[in-house]
Amino acid sequence: MTALLLWSPYVRQLVNWAVTAGSVLLCLFVLHSRLPGMELLGVGPNWPLIWVVAWSVKRSPWQGAFAGLVLGLIQDGLTSPDPTHTISLALVGMLTALLQKQRYVQEDFISVALIVFGMAVLAETVIAVQFSLQSSHLMAQSTYRSLAEIWGYHQRIALSSAILSSLWAPVLYYPLNRWWQLINNIEQMQT
Amino acid sequence: MYIFRRWWDRHALTLGLACLALSTAWLLRQTQSAVVLELYQRLTLPFQAAGSPQAEILANAQVEELQQRLTELKNQNHQLQKLLDYKAVQPATAIVAPIVGRSADHWWQQVTLGRGSQQGIKVGAVVSGTGGVVGRVVQVTPNTSRVLLVSDPTSQVGVTISRSRHMGYLRGQSGNRAIMEFFDKVPDVRPGDVVSTSSFSQLFPPGLAVGKIESVDFGKSPAPEAVIELSAPLSYLEWVVVTPSTTTPPPQTDPQLDLQSDLQSDLQTDLIPFAPTGLTP
Repeated sequence: MTALLLWSPYVRQLVNWAVTAGSVLLCLFVLHSRLPGMELLGVGPNWPLIWVVAWSVKRSPWQGAFAGLVLGLIQDGLTSPDPTHTISLALVGMLTALLQKQRYVQEDFISVALIVFGMAVLAETVIAVQFSLQSSHLMAQSTYRSLAEIWGYHQRIALSSAILSSLWAPVLYYPLNRWWQLINNIEQMQT
Repeated sequence: MYIFRRWWDRHALTLGLACLALSTAWLLRQTQSAVVLELYQRLTLPFQAAGSPQAEILANAQVEELQQRLTELKNQNHQLQKLLDYKAVQPATAIVAPIVGRSADHWWQQVTLGRGSQQGIKVGAVVSGTGGVVGRVVQVTPNTSRVLLVSDPTSQVGVTISRSRHMGYLRGQSGNRAIMEFFDKVPDVRPGDVVSTSSFSQLFPPGLAVGKIESVDFGKSPAPEAVIELSAPLSYLEWVVVTPSTTTPPPQTDPQLDLQSDLQSDLQTDLIPFAPTGLTP
């Protein structure tokens, strides 16, 4: 803390952004691996979603939606841009910020896990809706999944993704939140 | 003007950073996040497949694959002897690649390989592993490549029942199961039959082991369906073999488009021999 105080504001900003971008990159790496304990029915935790929730909890809805958009674009690049992940993640960011959790609940761990649980279900539902719209559009080509397939699969992954993501959420949320709080405190002290 | 200046002074940095973040994300999306994948490959290099803890499962799968291939070859041989029209298939050069990452999303069944265009892998190359066919390469970066697994619902492959030569196509069911839809109304098939890629498939070479029939549903409309147990243990594989495809589809960056053309070409070619019988009264 004292060391950080001595740095010039610009260097501190730069380090802050580096830490933020680094945490995103870390999320993307972990997303590809399936470490022991990170898999349930072949589904892993949704790390970009956890990051967006961690970012949005104490920020404005627009900042949340923007983070969702950025992470969604990156995840599109990593999998397939059609259907896009930007809508679900931007929605998650916006809703998380609108919840205004810190106003009502001081406690951090369980409430964040609960938010992640709900948001994971929401995100998978949004993607399932996108798939359904696609399949009704492109009935002629059977390349796309049928409605029964989409929603059957949705049930399975929404639940396992929500459970795993909410259990792993504190791992990302705790250090990131500590860091952002520290930077915030220093900035308030200096102004 | 003054108000604008003040606003600009306060928000210039945030705005600049926001633009930077958005443009970086857009760039990553357009380049299929190649930078991220490359970095990931570098980082995981020391951890890549040192030993295989699931050796037993792989060994079992290999035995099963060999048995299935034997059955397939026996039947093929029988057919060829009848036809007396044998064309030798040149074995292509194969690239062995480690699996370094699983799919980055729950909706797609993909894996990332630790070899890329620098090692000679191209989009459309066929990926097989211990146990049989694994999938197709849909995107390559200099040192990584992304494979769409056969278990993905959008991955559709022309397949045939090895014993009776009845054709159909396979739809992934995410996991170790797939659905085979037959072209015939009353196919000659029973549980335990070996399924392999059909000679009409343009994307996969014929005769690759795919799996075994687990159960058949003859009542399904419009065509009977069978549940297939894939023989390659997709979630345990650590190394795969990449063989360049004999037919090169036009290079497309969008895997979705690629898949569509993939299915259409597969289906069209698969359906041609069937169409005339369907038209005759």
